Amino acid sequence: MQKYEFIEHTADVTFKAYGRDLNELFENAAEALEDTMVFLDEVAPGETLTIEMSSDSYENLLYDWLSELLIMFEVERFAVKKCFVRIGGLSLTAACLGERVDLNRLRVNAEVKAVTYHDLTVTRNDFYHAEVTLDA
Amino acid sequence: MTFEELVRLGEYVWEVPQDTALRMRVPGRIFLSEVLMKYLERGAIQQVANVATLPGIQKWSLAMPDVHTGYGFPIGGVAAFDVSEGILSPGGVGFDINCGTRLLVTTLFKEEIEPRINELTTALFEAIPSGLGSKGQLRLSEKELDGVFSGGAKWAVNQGYGNPTDLKHCESNGCLDGADPTKVSPLAKKRGKPQLGSLGSGNHFLEIQCIDRVLDKKAAHLFGLKEQQVCVMLHSGSRGAGHQICTDYLKMFQAASRKYSIELPDKQLACVPADSREARDYFSAMAAAANYAWTNRQVMSYWVRDVLEQQFNTTATLVYDVAHNIAKLEKHTIDGRRKQVYVHRKGATRAFDKDVSYGIEQPVLIPGSMGTASYVLHGTKKAMSTTFGSTCHGAGRVLSRKAARRSLTWRGVTESLQRKHIAIKTDDLSSVPEEAPEAYKSIDEVIDVVSKLGISEAVARLTPMGVIKG
Repeated sequence: MQKYEFIEHTADVTFKAYGRDLNELFENAAEALEDTMVFLDEVAPGETLTIEMSSDSYENLLYDWLSELLIMFEVERFAVKKCFVRIGGLSLTAACLGERVDLNRLRVNAEVKAVTYHDLTVTRNDFYHAEVTLDA
Repeated sequence: MTFEELVRLGEYVWEVPQDTALRMRVPGRIFLSEVLMKYLERGAIQQVANVATLPGIQKWSLAMPDVHTGYGFPIGGVAAFDVSEGILSPGGVGFDINCGTRLLVTTLFKEEIEPRINELTTALFEAIPSGLGSKGQLRLSEKELDGVFSGGAKWAVNQGYGNPTDLKHCESNGCLDGADPTKVSPLAKKRGKPQLGSLGSGNHFLEIQCIDRVLDKKAAHLFGLKEQQVCVMLHSGSRGAGHQICTDYLKMFQAASRKYSIELPDKQLACVPADSREARDYFSAMAAAANYAWTNRQVMSYWVRDVLEQQFNTTATLVYDVAHNIAKLEKHTIDGRRKQVYVHRKGATRAFDKDVSYGIEQPVLIPGSMGTASYVLHGTKKAMSTTFGSTCHGAGRVLSRKAARRSLTWRGVTESLQRKHIAIKTDDLSSVPEEAPEAYKSIDEVIDVVSKLGISEAVARLTPMGVIKG
């Protein structure tokens, strides 16, 4: 199964992420975000950060999760190579493997300003999918 | 939503009838020439219609000629909401609160700069931090950051980054009233604190430009603009602080919209009644971000002047500074009555028929895409009656960033700039194709439409000599 794909959007970046379960969906959405910001093959999984959060819907949980990763990159310069997500109810626990990058060394792909709510969906039929638009 | 549903009301005016979509409270109006009509996306029409469903909207949901699909509001969208029955929407302002444009005019002429353009572009590139997550040279304390949020450009001038005349030449004097730093989250402060005085990335830029044509002698004279004179244009906003403030309030308003039973066609349009506590809090935080953006452009102007002094023993005068992502409390005549409204401009510029800065119409600054012309215009009476005193904000994208990267190379784009004798400096060469002229509509066409509509009038055309791409 494809992890995620980017869709044309004139001003911004829209992607669809897929997963056999919610955990995988959130992991793949995170990878799509990191892929937008950095060149993933240049990031080493040397350090682990743990994130815990909860929300009132899967859409809002996804918004919070991706916003958190975006802030980790902007404020801490922490780029995530791979993450392991566990979702129980509307709570999320994640272990993020990545590194604090030196922007003089690592090439940056695009500056993402924010995650938007525009057409933000988390749906399920045979598997889970989400659509996310980033202001980039 | 189909193109067939649009009704042509005039050469440049297209209506989205009120019955196009469910719950539209007013019709939509899109201002386009036939040339620009070819670029209009279905998604943008849908977004114009979606905005028309929001409570308290006045007269029309508008889209300027540089319209394209955004998220929530279209880019190029303008809408005014009644102060008591209307709403405030963070999505109607956008994440980059008070992203805007500033123009400084130097005492230098093109021929003096030409032989040293590479040197000057490099010096400015070194003086002004740019690129992803770029950090400014200022080290602010918490208290100083609060001063920035409350005071705007005035804070910078008080610290020595400019002179009091600069404030007179900024929209709203570089400070929105009602800003309250206590309504800004610790995270927004954390993101904004290291970045003051930096350009950012994406479509943000600094350009060394030359006035290639004066189109309105009287206004140009008053604005201090002469043909062949060298100017510096800055395009930047409120950086991480503004992005986080919008993120925070959008999230908060998801639940608040439900609380106030506001039906939303798109979650990004989340909004609250304009007279609610939530709206007051958002306005105070948004004003703080707007003030941060004005301070940001003011501090960068200081470094521009510093370089000019070192390299050419001269300085630059601030012509004007405009916001193009903002919500403002303004008075407009609507159906013959003066009314207070919250005007949301998302990718649109204020274009008032009166302004204190020069005693005539308000100057309007419209940047073109990288390597193409930019314009100085002025506002008009017609803008006051048809667009809530607003006009376009740029050329408007036609190619997505991804499509631009696919079809163009950075080498090709920089070589084509060099052929036009335009110097370019950037931290991120790979993103250069995204801002190439091919990725945007023709700025000359957009300006032609706003002029023919009469919602602003061209004063001068500027062409680039050196570009710093953020």
